Amino acid sequence: MIISAASRDNSPRLAIVRVGIALGLLFLMVNLFHVQIMDRDRYGDREQAQSLRRIRLPAARGEIVDRNGVVLANNRPSYDIAISLDQLGRVSKRQDVARIAETNILAMSRAIGLPVTVTDENIRNHYYRRRPLPLPLWRDLPAATVAAFEERAGNWPGTDLIVTPVRQYPYASLAAHLLGYCGKAEQTEDEEVENFYYYQSDSTGKQGVERAFDDDLRGAPGGHTIRVNPSGMKVGEVGDKPAERGNRIVLTIDVRIQQIVENALAHTVLPAGKKLCGAVVVIDPRNGEILALASAPTFDPNVSVVPLLNATGSPLLNHATGARYAPGSTFKPVTLLAGLESGKVSASDTAVCGGGLQIGNRRFGCWNTHGHGRMDAFTAMMQSCDVWFYQEGMRAGVEAITRMAGELGLGQSASVDFAHDLAGGVPTPEWKREHFNEKWWESDTAQLAIGQSYLLATPLQMANVAATLGNGGTRWRPFAVKQIESPDGKTLQITQPVVLSRLSVRSQNLAVVRQAMLGAVQSAQGTGHHAAVRGLTVAGKTGTAEFNKKDGINRAWFIGFAPFEQPVVAVAVLIEDGVSGGHVAAPVAGQIFAGIFKSSLETTGGGPIYVD
Amino acid sequence: MSISRQLQQLKRMDWLLTVAVVLLAIGSVAFIYSASYRGPGQPMPDYYRMQIGWFVVGAVLYVAAAVVDYRWICQWATVWYVVAVLLLLLVLFTGMKVYGARRWLGWHGFGIQPSEVAKLAVLVALSYYLFHRTLEMRRQWATIGGALAILAVPLVLIFAQPDLGSAVILALVTVGLLFVAGVRVKHLVVLVVAGVLAMPVMWLRMREYQKARLTVFLDPDRDPLGAGWNLNQSLIAVGSGGFGGKGYLQGTQNLLGYLPRTVAPNDFLFSVIAEEKGFVGSVCVVGLFAVILFRGLRIAAEARDRLGMLLATGIVGLLFFHVFVNIGMTIGLLPVKGLPLPLLSYGGSFVLATMTALGLLQNVWIHRRNY
Repeated sequence: MIISAASRDNSPRLAIVRVGIALGLLFLMVNLFHVQIMDRDRYGDREQAQSLRRIRLPAARGEIVDRNGVVLANNRPSYDIAISLDQLGRVSKRQDVARIAETNILAMSRAIGLPVTVTDENIRNHYYRRRPLPLPLWRDLPAATVAAFEERAGNWPGTDLIVTPVRQYPYASLAAHLLGYCGKAEQTEDEEVENFYYYQSDSTGKQGVERAFDDDLRGAPGGHTIRVNPSGMKVGEVGDKPAERGNRIVLTIDVRIQQIVENALAHTVLPAGKKLCGAVVVIDPRNGEILALASAPTFDPNVSVVPLLNATGSPLLNHATGARYAPGSTFKPVTLLAGLESGKVSASDTAVCGGGLQIGNRRFGCWNTHGHGRMDAFTAMMQSCDVWFYQEGMRAGVEAITRMAGELGLGQSASVDFAHDLAGGVPTPEWKREHFNEKWWESDTAQLAIGQSYLLATPLQMANVAATLGNGGTRWRPFAVKQIESPDGKTLQITQPVVLSRLSVRSQNLAVVRQAMLGAVQSAQGTGHHAAVRGLTVAGKTGTAEFNKKDGINRAWFIGFAPFEQPVVAVAVLIEDGVSGGHVAAPVAGQIFAGIFKSSLETTGGGPIYVD
Repeated sequence: MSISRQLQQLKRMDWLLTVAVVLLAIGSVAFIYSASYRGPGQPMPDYYRMQIGWFVVGAVLYVAAAVVDYRWICQWATVWYVVAVLLLLLVLFTGMKVYGARRWLGWHGFGIQPSEVAKLAVLVALSYYLFHRTLEMRRQWATIGGALAILAVPLVLIFAQPDLGSAVILALVTVGLLFVAGVRVKHLVVLVVAGVLAMPVMWLRMREYQKARLTVFLDPDRDPLGAGWNLNQSLIAVGSGGFGGKGYLQGTQNLLGYLPRTVAPNDFLFSVIAEEKGFVGSVCVVGLFAVILFRGLRIAAEARDRLGMLLATGIVGLLFFHVFVNIGMTIGLLPVKGLPLPLLSYGGSFVLATMTALGLLQNVWIHRRNY
């Protein structure tokens, strides 16, 4: 019977089938191993990328306060009305979400009396790209509108009141250049990241302390991780990390001094038609603390600065650290100190000023074209005689002058903590050869001696020159941040004053310079007499640097310190188009000195108002 | 023979094979539950309960197909074959259209897929036909021609539904049967080459969505939201399962619906298992199938006659190709086709057909030579 035909004769082929099936299963296992073990992370990442969404919760920025704890920058709540499209999606078909949203928005707009701000396209974009996030409709609403909304919120499903922190500067433009301002952090460009994270941007510091200490102020943004289904609807929460508030920055400035300074600067007496542009820096010569720093024109950091960003002569420019000027005659104390130190000049050297001096084949004028007559170091400083300084400067030599300028910090950045301050420039024969391919003439030395001839300095640098001369030769690093505290008030970091250098000068030579500067203010004939304050000993020097001879534009300067014996404040005032230092800058300094020492002058024995 | 004597024979069955089948059936119900799970307290479709029902009916068929002598069953091969062809014709004209294909015959809320019945019927018919050819006849073209003739009618009808996956598997199983039947290898090579050459013709006859599904596995990112979606999401599910998996009912790909809910309980059930039980789960599944397949080949080798050998080999081939294509599909090795995973995927017809096939396998073992 055929049925009994054995199957044995087929076993070789069955064996082949067995091997084939074994190989097939092995092939599956190898590939499963590859996908599940070798490539596990890759697929795990893709799984998370498509189903997890991270919503960033911006952190509230830390406060900025003055040395006495007066708040200069903090946050206020902004009340925004937003609509959650994914909640509308639960009750309706996807296609209708935008239409329902629009109907609701229109109804709300009528009820609370605000115009509709989002377009159909906004809504659709939001719906497709960042569905789990609320779409803001109106931002920063006044209390009355918020109340009106709250009353009727139940009528509009999916709408919500959202509170976000907004940077606020209670003193508006006060110390604006020092504080800086905030803007939206740049959004990430990366599409992948953009899809993964719903980015609610923080504001970041864009200038001043806000920018330089952004890492401290920013805090740590929190996060809110949710799971979404393929249509982007939220299906659950995965984790939550609260945002951490930024640290508190305590500044060295004193709001009262800052107000005095800004007030004085604002009241600068200028001829009609001239626009105020300038800067004032007040430093404590005992440690380099910046007590006040003002720049004009100024701005209000509460208001968007975007329109100012590309404006010419932008108010955002900090003229105290970001602009360089010829220091003019405020440089004369440096020249005198260099001369005395060189041993080639003595305080009793005399010269007769006839209103100018012939050097080589060219005549160099004194600002007083009538001539000062016979001058020595003290009278020349007092009346700012150019002729005496031409002669003494040439005698001291360019090398001695530039070395002394360098010792006093000119030509190098003061490396302040809140900004990149400019280095300015001190010209040398090598510098001139390099840049102009020209020999350094004697007349260049004469020009340098009176603070012209390519010499450039920032008001901050000149304030520090005054401070260094005032305190007996210690050059401190100027700084604006006194300490950093955690949000709950623990001190995290205290700035230690840093000595940048000590002048290598004989004390009697420095005493001569200081004495000469005292005369320039205290003497009735002194050019800086307008900076004098009754009952206070002020030393200083005016400067009127020619900037544009044709248009008669001069840089008006005053630098000084007080009280003479034990200086506690050093000041630099610069007015860009200021006619003359003596008549424009010195009175500003005078107001500042008077303001600062007011209480101590009225009540005997008291120090200046800021002293801790 | 009395029924009780027939049931007595059950003791002779391959118990290891039965254990593997039961374990897979339990896994099937558990993971169909997981695939339909929507979260605590959420309403969910009760596929898993239906599947339990199918397995109960399947168990009856398993026993029935095991005890009635396969030689008797195969004598009726022509009847099975004609019934299968009639069902295929019926579905083509009156079948329910699901996702653009007529694969279902439905009444009173129940539906059967004639192609599942047809696969088994064709297998029986081919085994019976080849069994009656002598060695000399099998070495001639005529036998191959006869086998192809038996295959042709159901194949064309299945292809017309269209159910490309089943058609391809049926063709592959036929080639395998011819091979173990002792057909000349030279002839088989010619046959396979001819089949490959015929593919461009099939390609032209295919619908656009079929072409897209076939080609997308070459580059799943080409159309990630369209044809590539299932493949991509399945790969992500399997890959993100890692070594140990995310835990039962914790598979986010499945839970959140990235793995489409329409396919997760059936064609992509393996992805759910691999996501929730990881590589360990994959090894278990493939291991259980390996037990079934290798026990099946042992049954083929020990069969009392060539009919049993051919039948057992055909069933093993049918199961193997389903397992290979389905798992290969979930990890992007093979084109995406609507082929379920035996014993695991949800689906009444397929569970019943598979249980019947496995019963026949036991049948060949029970009636093996040396008792």
